[in-house]
Amino acid sequence: MKKVVACYKWVIDEADIRVEEKDHSLNFERAKYKISEYDRNAIEAGALLNEEKGCEFLAVTCGPNVEASLKDVLSRGPASISYVNEEWLADVDSSVTSKILAGIIKKIGNVDLVICGEGSSDDYSQQVGPRLAALLGYASVTFVNKLDITEEGIKVERKLEDGVEVLEVKGPAVVTVLPDINKPRIPSLKQILAAKKKPTEKISLKEIGFDINASQPKLKTLSISGTVMERKNMQINTDGLSIKDAALKLVKQLNADGSLA
Amino acid sequence: MPEEKFDCIIVGAGPAGSTAGFLLANAGLEVLIIERGTFAGSKNMTGGRLYSHSLEKIISDFASVAPVERKVVKETITMLTNDSAVSIDFQSQQLNQAQKESYTVLRADFDQWLAGKAEDAGAILAPGVRVDDLLFKDGKVTGVIAGEDEMEADVVILADGVNSLLAQKAGLKVELKPNQVAVGVKEVIELPAQVIEDRFGLNKGEGAARIFVGNCTKGKIGGGFLYTNKNSLSLGLVFTLADLAESQLTVPQMLEEFKSHPVIKPLIKDGKLVEYSAHLVPEAGLNMLPKLYSDGVMVVGDAAGLVINAGYTVRGMDLAIASGEAASKAIITAKEQDDYSAASLARYQDLLDRSFVMQDLKQYQKFPEFMENPRIFNEYPQLVVNIFKDMFIVDGSPGKPLRKKVLNHAKQVGLVNLLKDAWKGVKAL
Repeated sequence: MKKVVACYKWVIDEADIRVEEKDHSLNFERAKYKISEYDRNAIEAGALLNEEKGCEFLAVTCGPNVEASLKDVLSRGPASISYVNEEWLADVDSSVTSKILAGIIKKIGNVDLVICGEGSSDDYSQQVGPRLAALLGYASVTFVNKLDITEEGIKVERKLEDGVEVLEVKGPAVVTVLPDINKPRIPSLKQILAAKKKPTEKISLKEIGFDINASQPKLKTLSISGTVMERKNMQINTDGLSIKDAALKLVKQLNADGSLA
Repeated sequence: MPEEKFDCIIVGAGPAGSTAGFLLANAGLEVLIIERGTFAGSKNMTGGRLYSHSLEKIISDFASVAPVERKVVKETITMLTNDSAVSIDFQSQQLNQAQKESYTVLRADFDQWLAGKAEDAGAILAPGVRVDDLLFKDGKVTGVIAGEDEMEADVVILADGVNSLLAQKAGLKVELKPNQVAVGVKEVIELPAQVIEDRFGLNKGEGAARIFVGNCTKGKIGGGFLYTNKNSLSLGLVFTLADLAESQLTVPQMLEEFKSHPVIKPLIKDGKLVEYSAHLVPEAGLNMLPKLYSDGVMVVGDAAGLVINAGYTVRGMDLAIASGEAASKAIITAKEQDDYSAASLARYQDLLDRSFVMQDLKQYQKFPEFMENPRIFNEYPQLVVNIFKDMFIVDGSPGKPLRKKVLNHAKQVGLVNLLKDAWKGVKAL
């Protein structure tokens, strides 16, 4: 039986982030967390391999506050979740994340296939998958929109800009998946109830031999701000302007702005 | 066949469902609460105020830990015409006393907290699941159906809100009629706490509640409301659904006009719109009361139409909480006697009948009918405003004795109408 692991990131729901008007800083006050969008596809891909191919399917994650994610993720298919929950992980780059995930995956042992989302909905660095492959010594396959596991190996389709590449991978691999690979499920009542009985394993950094001092993040975020489309907020039909005159005024304005060029 | 069985399945994690879930789990029952929204409170809406008494009895001093917004210490009724307003303020130390106090709330926060209390007590909460139907066996409700899944329970509590399709499927209720429900529409407008306190004359942490009658609903049955939250205002309108069909304006247009009324505009100045929502409100009270229970099933809260309609305001959350409590008491007894038949669950109705819920509903039974009088929303606000105009507007034209001024204006409405409506109003209460 092949062993499949999906990695996921517990991210701030971007719908809840507000951009402050005065300085374009981000306000996270009302932000809730969610499973990173493409990681839902990674989890679903693992769940399907479990249901259709009988693969053993587990999930792993690391980050701050990830314990809040466990019930949600478990209701989407994995038999268990192994995780590292550390507050300081809020400010790390993908080099640190991938080292910790690799440590967890090594600890699980004998993993045939690791599935990641192509990129996370917050940073979208697209690095964790390939870095994991390097750290684990696995094959790395990106942009995957079809995935199957057979006796011969792992069969994937990569969706490229102007074509489709079909590959067969011998030996263990890390694949990063695109959102059109599947439609993530809405967990059913029974799946939600079953999730409450599934085991989770909290892993310490010591257990995976992770040395904080030797693995400081190499990137430091200096600032982060939203981009805001400035609007002119002009009202054309003022002072009882007739529709015809208003239309002419609008065309004139659009021409002046170069919008009709 | 379902492999798992609960003592009780509750459909809906609003105040009624979560209260019942909390009390049942506390009593050691196996409880499953199923919520359609992605979290409790995500699909719920209130104008803004919770009267504390019924929850206070269950979780004493809840306001010190629950995410309530502000304690209401100032009540204002305002009669509006298109350009004028007359307000009456009520401030009292009694608004501050335990069990008499009320709090402004935002449901997304409050409902999550209450559902969390139920979970802490041992209830299982399953959010993001829609219950499609009920399981029946020999005419008795034995569980729920959600998608492909069936789940059994000794008793099912329907706390699925105003348009309870499940209560219809259980044969407890018929489809809603347009004159039994109101539509409430609300904007949450963000303002700094300090600005809110200055604008409404409040001490730190205190809140104001304002209701508006007259022009805000363009003479239709209903009213406007404004509640102060910690860092926002809840501003909105409630009107009877049946009236909307004849309305010249759409609901959003009415709210826009309300916001630009000269009395409202300065109250929300510089505020930032952060939320817009609308919801149905059951408002026919006892006149729409369903059958509250049957074999293996009972209905609580908005699903049972347990809302008091005082014409320009509606009040439901404290009734919902009390109904959840009554249902849970009936179920705890039913469990002891291992009897979930209608005869056993009838205790729920007994408890409600003896509580403020049914007594207040009876008290207000005739009120909706009384309020279905356009004069209350047109002529009377105008009458009051005209009297005050005569009193306060001095432009050099010769004055008349006050008695005459009042009588003059009253004659425009018709003295007989005025007396008739006054008598009806007194009788209705």
